[in-house]
Order: sequence, then C-alpha cells, then structure tokens
Amino acid sequence: MEIEKLTALEIREGIIRGDFSCEELVKKLYKRIKVVDKDINAYLTLCEERALEDARKVDEKVKNKKILGKLAGVPIAIKDNICTDEIKTTCASKMLEDFIPPYNASVIKKLKEEDAIIIGKTNMDEFSMGGSTENSAFKITKNPHDLERVPGGSSGGSAAAVASGIAVLSLGSDTGGSIRQPAAFCGVIGLKPTYGLVSRFGLVSFASSLDQIGPITKSVKDCALCLDVVAGYDPKDNTSSKSQETISYLEGIDAGVRGMKIVLPEELLSQDINVEIKNAIEESAKKFKELGAEVEYIPLSVFNRGLSSYYIISSAEASSNLGRYDGIRYGYRTKEFKDVYELMVKSRSEAFGEEVKRRIMFGTLVLSSSYYEDYYKKALKFRENLSREFKKVFEGYDLILSPVTLDFPSKIGEKKSNLLEMNFGDVYTSNVNLAGLPAISIPCGKSTNGLPIGIQIIGDHFSERKILRAAEAFLGGAKV
Amino acid sequence: MKYETIVGLEIHAELKTKTKIFCSCSTKFGSRPNENTCPVCLGLPGTLPVVNEEVINLAVKAGIALKCKINQISKMDRKNYFYPDLPKAYQISQFNLPICKDGYIEINSKEKIKKVRLNRIHIEEDAGKLIHSENEAYSLIDYNRAGIPLIEIVTEPDLRSAEEAVAFLKALKEILEYCDISDCKMEEGSLRCDVNISLREKGSSKLNTKVEIKNLNSFKELQRAIEQEEERQRKLYALGEGHKIIQETRRFDSSKGETVSMRTKEDINDYRYFKEPDLLPILIRNEIIEKAKESIPELPNEKRERFKNLYKLNQKEIEIIVGDRSLAKYYEELVNKGVNAKIASNWLLSDISRLINENKLTIDKFPVRPDRMSKLLKFVESGKINNSAAKEVLEEMVNKLSDENPEEIIKKRGLIQENSVEKIKPIVEKVLKENEKVVEEYKNGKKQVKGFLVGMIIKATEKKANPRVINEILDEILM
Amino acid sequence: MKITIDEIKKISSYAKLIFKEDELEKMTRDFEKILNNFDTNDSLNLEDINLDNFDRVNSEFRKDEIEVFKDKKKLFRNTKSMREKNIEVPKLIE
Repeated sequence: MEIEKLTALEIREGIIRGDFSCEELVKKLYKRIKVVDKDINAYLTLCEERALEDARKVDEKVKNKKILGKLAGVPIAIKDNICTDEIKTTCASKMLEDFIPPYNASVIKKLKEEDAIIIGKTNMDEFSMGGSTENSAFKITKNPHDLERVPGGSSGGSAAAVASGIAVLSLGSDTGGSIRQPAAFCGVIGLKPTYGLVSRFGLVSFASSLDQIGPITKSVKDCALCLDVVAGYDPKDNTSSKSQETISYLEGIDAGVRGMKIVLPEELLSQDINVEIKNAIEESAKKFKELGAEVEYIPLSVFNRGLSSYYIISSAEASSNLGRYDGIRYGYRTKEFKDVYELMVKSRSEAFGEEVKRRIMFGTLVLSSSYYEDYYKKALKFRENLSREFKKVFEGYDLILSPVTLDFPSKIGEKKSNLLEMNFGDVYTSNVNLAGLPAISIPCGKSTNGLPIGIQIIGDHFSERKILRAAEAFLGGAKV
Repeated sequence: MKYETIVGLEIHAELKTKTKIFCSCSTKFGSRPNENTCPVCLGLPGTLPVVNEEVINLAVKAGIALKCKINQISKMDRKNYFYPDLPKAYQISQFNLPICKDGYIEINSKEKIKKVRLNRIHIEEDAGKLIHSENEAYSLIDYNRAGIPLIEIVTEPDLRSAEEAVAFLKALKEILEYCDISDCKMEEGSLRCDVNISLREKGSSKLNTKVEIKNLNSFKELQRAIEQEEERQRKLYALGEGHKIIQETRRFDSSKGETVSMRTKEDINDYRYFKEPDLLPILIRNEIIEKAKESIPELPNEKRERFKNLYKLNQKEIEIIVGDRSLAKYYEELVNKGVNAKIASNWLLSDISRLINENKLTIDKFPVRPDRMSKLLKFVESGKINNSAAKEVLEEMVNKLSDENPEEIIKKRGLIQENSVEKIKPIVEKVLKENEKVVEEYKNGKKQVKGFLVGMIIKATEKKANPRVINEILDEILM
Repeated sequence: MKITIDEIKKISSYAKLIFKEDELEKMTRDFEKILNNFDTNDSLNLEDINLDNFDRVNSEFRKDEIEVFKDKKKLFRNTKSMREKNIEVPKLIE
C-alpha cells in the first residue's frame, strides 16, 4: 500500500477489511518519515513507541471484532501547540523546549477515544506568531512543492506533513489564517471551524477570542470525518458552543451546490494580486457556476480593512496570555539571576523569539491606559461592526469565495521587511477570525512552476456543512 | 483647624465553597503545600477557567444580605501584573461590571444608627502564598490558595473614625457568618481588610489625598492603624506639610505601632484591564436570586430587635447570644421548649458557657442538647430542684458524658428539692438552736449573718431544701 | 500618533522584557505605523456600538464538586526548583 496516497477513510476501511494491519501501516509510515522528513523538517517530535503500542491495540480490536472508532488506525500529526500528555509540547519556542504537559488537550482525548494514532508533533511559528514557520526556534520546514520555499504558517509543519505524505491527517490551529494559508501554500485542504465549535482546552493560547483548532487533510471527506471527532461542546472550555450537532458532517456532503448563492469580492478585480492566483480564482468561480451555483461579484466591504484591528486585538490578548511564561513554575529559566525579577525578565527575554517579543510589546502598549480607549477599545468596536457586515452578506448569500493569499510563498530566508509580518491581503483570512466564521482553503490550481494555489470558501456561523458540500463538489470528491 | 477623618474600606472575604473559583481543586485550609493544585490553577499552558456555580450563588446571597442591587449581567476581566504568587500573570476579577452594586450596612455610632453605603461587590480569584523565612536566601511559593474564590466588598468613604470602621467590619463579619457565606477568620486570612484614609477640614466637601493601608490582621490592628494614620496626617496638615501626604500604600507595623510606607511593589501599576476572553459574560437568572433570598436566615440586626422585644433581654445579653448564630439557635430552642427566657439566658451565659470553655467545645458540640437542657431548667423553674443541684446534674451530663435524662440523674443522686415547710421547719429550728450566738448577732442588727445561717441550713438538708422556703421560714422565726 | 521611546521603555517594564536601544527605536517606529494605519482605516465610520451589549452569555456553571489531580509529581515535573513541596525562588523582599 502506498501510504502517502491513502485517505483516513480508506485506511479505516482497509484495516477493517483486513487489507493491512495498523501496525504495518504505522511502521511503514515511520520508515517513510525517516526518509522524507530529512528534507521537509515537518516534525519536531516523533512518538514511535507509543504509536506502535496504540496501533497494536487497534489491531487487537479488529481481531476481537470490537467496534472501531471513527478514526481507527489513522496516523495523525499534531501541531506542537496542542498539549499531549507525557509528550513534549514546545510551541516551537525555547521557552517550552523541555515542557512535558501532564494532561491531554480535549481534542487529543477525543482523537484517542476514536482510535486515532498520534504520530508526532509538528513544527510551527513560535507560539503561532508568523506566516512562514520560519519563526520556529528549532527548525525550518520546507514546502514539499518547492524545497526552497516556505510552507506557510503558523501551522506549516502540519500542512507540509500531509502534503508530503508523512501524515494522513493533521491538526493545526488558526488565529488569523494559520491553517488556511499553509494549506493553500502546500496544496492541501485546511478548515478553520466556527469559533467555539472545537474545544480550545489544551491549545496553548495565542489570542483566546480568535484561536481555533482545525483539520488539515487530503480529502474533503477526511476533513468532515475529523470534524465529527473533534467538534462539540466541552465543559472545560467555557467559550465552546453548546449547539449540539448529532448528525455527521459526512451526511449530505455529496449533495452538490445547485441553487447555492455564492459571491466574490468585486474589489479583487482591481487588487494588486498575483495574476496566476487571480486567474485561478476566476476560473474557480466559473467552475462553481458550471456546478449549478449562482455566482456573482459584488462589492464586499468586509475585506476593505481590518489588518491593524487584527493586530491590536490579537497582540493584546497574546501579551496577556504569554505573561505566565516567567521561568518560575515551568519552562526556560535563565542561568544567573540575583532576584525574582531578574529571573523573570531574563528568562523571558532570552527564551522568546523576536516576533513574539514584538507582539507582546505591541499588545501591552495598546492595553496601556493612554492607548486603551483609542486603540484597543476602538478595535473591538471595529470587530463588532465587521461581524455585523458579514451577517448582512450572509442574509442574502450562502457562501463567500476569496483568495487565501495574494501571492505565492516566499523563498526561505527572504525576511519580509513588513512590520509584524503580515501583508495587506491577509485580511482575507484574518477578518474571518475576527468575525468568528468558518472557512476552508482548498487547492484550485497550480502556478506555471508547480506551486499550489488555494481558494477560500467562507460561510456563516456553524455552516460547516454547506462549506464542506461546496468544497467536495468543487474537487469532485478527489483527493489532493 | 478642625479635621475630620474620611475612611473607606476594601474587604476581601473567602467564599465558603468546596472547590476553587475556576477549577475543581479543594479549598480546604491547612493542606500540605501545593496539595490542592491542578493544571488550571497553576496556569499551565493551554488550560482554561470555568466558573463555579456556588461562587455565583454565594456572591448573590451576599449582595442580597447587604441590600445591594444584583447586576444580572456581569462579566469577568483580567487584571495584568507580574508577581510570583500569580500563576497566569493576571488575576481574573471584575472591573466595570461587578456582580453587585450599591447596598449598605447599618451600624451603631455615637448612640445613633448610621448607614454605611457600599459601592460594589465583585468576585475574583485569590493568589498563591509566598513564604519568606528570616535567615534563608530563598522564598517559597504554595499555590493552594491560588484560585480560592473571593468577594471584594468596597464601601463608600462614609466612615468617620476608627470605631466606626471596626463596628462596620464586625457587622459585616456577622452577616457573612450568619449567611454561611464566609468563615471570616481574620487569623486564617479568610477575611482581609484594607483601609483608604484621608483627612479634610471640617465643612469642606472635597476629598484630599488618600492613603491605603494594607496587612491588617485583627480588629485591634484595624483600630490602631487608623488612629495612627489619622495622627500622622493630622500632624502633617497642622505643620502645613499636607503635600507630604502622597497617594501610597502603607502597612501597619504592629511592633512599631505605626503605619510604614511599603517598598514600591510597583505602586503605580497599569493593570491593563480588559474583558476576560476565556469566560462568557455571566447571566444570573431570576431563580438564582430567588433561591439566594430564600436561603438567607434572619439577619443579626433583625434577630437583635426580636430578642429585645420578645425575650426582653438586655443589650449585653443580646450582644453575646445574637453574636453567635449557633448560640442564638440553641437559646431559642430552649425557650421554644418552655424554658423561661431569663432563666435560659442566665444559664446559657454562665454555667453553660463556662463548661463549653473548660472543655474547649463550641455550642454545637456541647453534649447537652436543648432537649435535655430544657427539661433540667424547667425543673429548676418549677422548684423541683434548686440551682446548685441543677449545676451538679449539668456537670455530670457534660464532664461524665452521661447521656441519661435529668430525671434519672436527679433520682439517682437524690437531688429532688424539698419544698415542704413541715419538713424544713424542724431543721431550721435545729440549726438555729445549734447557733444561738449567731442568732443573737442577727437580732442585734448584724443582718449579713443571715447568709451564714441559710448556708448551714442548706448543708443540713444536704442541699435539698428550697432556699426560698428556708428564707421564708427564717424570716418568720427571726421576726 | 506619536509614541515616545520613553513610553516604549515603560511598556517593556510592564511586559518584563529587555531590549537593546536600537531595538526599542525600531519598535517605536513600527508601532506608530500600525497605529496610524488604524487611525486612517479601521477607526472610521464606527457606529456607536455598546461593547457591554453581549450576544453570548452563560447562565449554567460548573458544579461545586471536588476533583483531585492525584499525580502531583507529574504536575510539578516541569518545575526547576522545589523544596519540601513548595516552589523555590530567590528571596523576595516585600
């Protein structure tokens, strides 16, 4: 079996049918990882022993004809900001270089309950801050389609692992585009669920009101399957949504897009966007029309602005969330200190990377008394306004199509001169987080030199079903 | 120049819940260091807070008992600062939408009733405990206390003296204890009081610079700290050096007996308050408020009024009995079982209290429950036994842990009081005949020797004779 | 919006971070750019929105029942210095 070609659904079926055992599948995967990941550098930690143990347990279940979990035998890579009990969780930061959580994130618990096999922890931008995974303190992950380019970020390792066939499915996290952008750059599928659909308990917080965990997969059906497992109310996360979905996201996923009303931003036509990407988006719009949807370009002010608000809000929350890293209870501790304050200041200054420190500073600034009213508070009002604007759009339309990025992944080392590392086109992803909406990135074409192009499908709150249907229709059920 | 003292208090009380405010760790006091901790209250990466329902219930109860308005929609906020006892580097508290606002407590001040207004009550988490030892180069942190639920009660600057402040704190403590909201043990830290104090010229309406005083561990310290700070400020104003009074935090040094400036623990801190994104705003349903209302017992002031009118007890008696809810309960049970109000009070405040203290008990652990106690006291009232006999019976029930009924003990010890004049008279006559000299002294005007004679007669009757009857007979004979 | 380098220095003390002088200068300029961008774009046409009108609230809370995290050794495994079950830090002078 060619492990790199199999989807999660195919693996589960194959194991149940007896085409292969879980143990041999996992063994094969690790063999492949040892070869492929030398070039890609997607993984920070591998859990071979544990994974093989879990694989054997699945095989036992099959042998004893026990009921198998929804993700039985499926090898999954986990972004290294999701806490895994007894397995190092570093957030790609020197600050947590040797941190071993004493508990599992709720999503990990759910995966294990459904017999998934956790293969390892993937590389990312430090504390999820960045768009290229170059901000990792440990490794540089390469884009499998062009090893000289970045895989995107902050979930670069997760996306690259799936794209290069060294994970069947992975979990990433998305605060301003961190699942969707690397998925687009790596030519795979990445979904950011509605805020509150997936529990954040155990996800190391970057910006609490924006973060969501989501699946990165090779097929839309795998995405739906993963969502079935990880979505749902968690009493440990007060912000998780109580609206209970008892029907599988796979139900009706093949229903197509006939009759759906889909819109694209008119502004796209005159925007400074790479022409190949622009063409791919336009072609995609045509394809949706052919599939039976009503597609039109309308002015969409929801993408006119918002980057600075995203910065203000996410940095403010991050500055507070990262205060706990002071070297006292866990994490990096500086070698020499004469008092507690020096312990804290030196540990933080030595262990955090540049980008992280910058965002902490900016967040502290906008929350400080002379700036709070004019910036943080106003940014919250902007956010509320933006949510209302999106709501208006969804009153008349089912889905919004947009680019994921306006350009291709940069070459590794090409440090952007842009402050705080975002481009103006990033509003297409970050505004979705500000409004708490669900969105998926799926491949919609390739550039002339083989780089994947992604298109984003955005829906109203809790409209994942619609989004998955549209994505499945567009890709024709194919795997990427 | 006459100055008046303006005092406001900020009180923190630990709520009597089983678990912490944001996690399910136990709140038990006195556990081994870091025994009651978990990933959430330690602030480990990825953990999230979840509000304890009992915290809401008790905070609402406190609000109702203190006559506040309940904000049915309120929210939590983060107060950001760095300190080793604060695991997340922020405290989850409430900033501009607290759970209760306004309210008041009535206190006695200078023979009048004064209303002291409350500004607000809010809920928040406590920090861990730092332990510094004198001779070591290290400090130790115990996070058992991190996450313990607190209510913070802030008064308006309505208090005008140290006495009023103490009276207020005592009244507040009483209400919180009565309602089972908090243990209010200042020695254990479950009740803490900070003071804000300033002085201003009498007649002026504007407020001058206020000083905060922290670290007060008893009512006495509260009183002395205010008096000392009053003095310090008055002196400065008198010397025209009022500008030297700066907005700062001072602590009360009990050994020096004065307030001392605290080393700037970043006195002027920008807490960068913002709405807690990990917790949804709190909606308090009407049912919660109704339930809280129903769970509030008769409050101390009301009970005092009622005791005064119904049982006709004096101020001192009421202070002691009403001051302890369990004592008041015991008392009322006695009276409800038919014991005379005065007799019940006398016995409760003398012999029963003495036995409780001697045996290091509380009224709730006192082995003689109102049932048996009322029977015993009714015997005294009816004259079946006399006081000293009753004391004997009580001692037996307490010290010998006898669980027999009073009648049984009385019978066993032969303590039934003799009331019959026919039986007593001969003994009186006998004692008088044996003490003719004393009788002479009495008849010659030395009235006080009567007590001696009564004592001799009681002894002669083996303590069984009714003293009243003895006296009547004596009076008759000696006339 | 002009930010002074002194303000940034104060911010760094709040954030418990130390920087070189040139880093602070660059940050000051960068932050000004973002704030100006906000002033120019995002802060316009904001209706009078009341941030205390919440669309999601919670009225059901956690039951007051004790749960013990038994494995304390595991819980404190990542702590660099413990002494008799307390966490040890250099002496704090209050």
